[in-house]
Amino acid sequence: MRTVWFLIEKEVRQLRRNRTLLALLLVAPIMQLVLLSFAANYEIKNLNLAVVDQDHSPAARRLLDKFQYTPYFRLVQVRPSSAAADQDLLSGRADLVLVFPPRFERDLVRGGQARVQLLVNALDNVKAGLASSYASSIVQAYQGEVRPATVAAAVGEVRGLEVVPAYWYNPLLNYKTFMVPGILVEIISLIVMMVTTLNIVREKEIGTIEQLNVTPIRKWQFILGKLLPFWVAGLYQFTIGLLLARFLFHVPMVGSVALLYGIMAVFLVVPLGLGLLISSASQTQQQALFVAFFFLIIFILLCGLFTPIEYMPAWARAFDRVNPLVYIIDIARRILLKGSTLRDVLQPVLTLLGMAVLVNALAVWRYRKTSG
Amino acid sequence: MPAVELTNISKAYGATQAVRNVSLTVEPGELFGLIGPDGAGKTTLFRILATLLLADAGTATVAKHDVVREFRAIRNVVGYMPGRFSLYQDLTVQENLEFFAAVFRTTVRENYELVRDIYEQLVPFKDRRAGALSGGMKQKLALCCALIHKPELLLLDEPTTGVDAVSRQEFWHMLSTLKERGITIVVSTPYMDEAALCERVALLQTGQVLRVDTPAALRESYPWPLYAVRAARMHPLLQDLRAYPAAHSCYAFGETAHLSLAQPDAAAEAHLKAYLTAKGHHDVSVAPVPATIEDTFMDLLQTHHSAPVS
Repeated sequence: MRTVWFLIEKEVRQLRRNRTLLALLLVAPIMQLVLLSFAANYEIKNLNLAVVDQDHSPAARRLLDKFQYTPYFRLVQVRPSSAAADQDLLSGRADLVLVFPPRFERDLVRGGQARVQLLVNALDNVKAGLASSYASSIVQAYQGEVRPATVAAAVGEVRGLEVVPAYWYNPLLNYKTFMVPGILVEIISLIVMMVTTLNIVREKEIGTIEQLNVTPIRKWQFILGKLLPFWVAGLYQFTIGLLLARFLFHVPMVGSVALLYGIMAVFLVVPLGLGLLISSASQTQQQALFVAFFFLIIFILLCGLFTPIEYMPAWARAFDRVNPLVYIIDIARRILLKGSTLRDVLQPVLTLLGMAVLVNALAVWRYRKTSG
Repeated sequence: MPAVELTNISKAYGATQAVRNVSLTVEPGELFGLIGPDGAGKTTLFRILATLLLADAGTATVAKHDVVREFRAIRNVVGYMPGRFSLYQDLTVQENLEFFAAVFRTTVRENYELVRDIYEQLVPFKDRRAGALSGGMKQKLALCCALIHKPELLLLDEPTTGVDAVSRQEFWHMLSTLKERGITIVVSTPYMDEAALCERVALLQTGQVLRVDTPAALRESYPWPLYAVRAARMHPLLQDLRAYPAAHSCYAFGETAHLSLAQPDAAAEAHLKAYLTAKGHHDVSVAPVPATIEDTFMDLLQTHHSAPVS
């Protein structure tokens, strides 16, 4: 172990003198977490609304007011005909068009079926989905006020049976509660994997590995000496990230933070070891970087943070069984939001542990002190 | 038991045969030189001895240990200095030395005696980063780091390439001091003047050993009468000498031309002067000279080329 300690000491000394890398390790993750968490917003405000009112009735007027009282819609045009409003959609002046057909009020008052039509620009499907769901909840609320079961909007067919959703573990459907833990582990994985990926191969490029390889350092000592400093850096990043999640983004922490820490300590060894494996198998930093990118992009895009895994094709779901990010994001959400205990998350934790052991064993095996 | 023994070692990189069928022995306490131009296979031999490279064929032992089976034991008793500066440029002089002492499970203090003469010259710069040292200082530091675990054998791959003349001289002085302490040293160099400072040298060319002998024996083995010829203009002089009927070979040697004759000729100097004056040369001087190692090497290269060893 003494040899490992000297290797770590050397690594830390070099790190202290590499200002860019140090900043990348210590400051960049904090900035990225803050920026990305604010930017990865699933709430949309100020959608541009165009209205075609062919009824000109107080009832239509009141429903339109409801749209305008929310921060989500901004009335930009009032058009006499659907054709003119279509132009607004086409030109991008409006994100959605609300059409009140003639006799809207009369149908409503007589208790028949009153309809409003909603035309949504679905070029951006996330935006379209949100716009229509916001609009239908406004229409539903209005319907409740006027007379139960009077208005059945085309966008939200609610008659007779009413579904009242209850969002458990994230009652307000706050996207930050959902996204921040995921973004945090993603950023940390990315950075620690990059740093270790470039590390061994850099010693190869500079030539220092030649001198190191003639010493009696054992292969596992070498790998451990490379892994531990960045493991500590990863845990530091996680600490700062959790503090930000708690006090800046108000992510609830229902479960045991200590448990999450322990699991994170295991998880970190996976991207670290993968980086070391790539590094010991590569000849140049460029090679190593591209291989690491290949894995990272797949891990990140398929991890379920941006597209739910359930929506993915079977092959992608199959791949995700070996995607460490899937497990840790799932575990982090369950512990933080749901208060899961070790018993609840034992299965994914054991999977991560297995990956950590396997990847690092491969890294030790692949690192060669002698070439053929 | 020799300190280093190579038996029929061969190594190829793809289609390039770097070393072919090399057999050598280095006795304990010897200062042994590997002499040859770039591409002669010197670095490949060092890397095989340092357990960094596996040979395709043949066996090698270092300090009685087989380089393949007992590589771990070798790493404890060998100090290797690669041709390319391979210390941590972003660590200071002192940090580098302490690090390499530590990974060999020793301390600078324990073996300071061995490196003192060299390290004392580095002490004024001990807090300077290794990357900021001059070429000569870098080599001294690399030597210190290779010595700090008190190796039985030093493998030095072109330690003086790219180093100024004064530092080169100092470096060789250090080597002779180390030799006196009983350390076996194998050193490679492309410089013939340095070959003369070794006890025995192996002349290498395209992966083969041309000859192994002491510098004196190599000089004496030169078979032709040799003359140093000077004239005002060098280039036409070489051309005319090569056209001289009795010439065996002729090449530039510093500021003179070395001409060897195919047959001994008692009146060679007079004949040559007359020949060159007739060719229109001025300030002609001709003197017999003893052969140097370089002359022997050039001669061996020539016979090697005309009759390649298969």
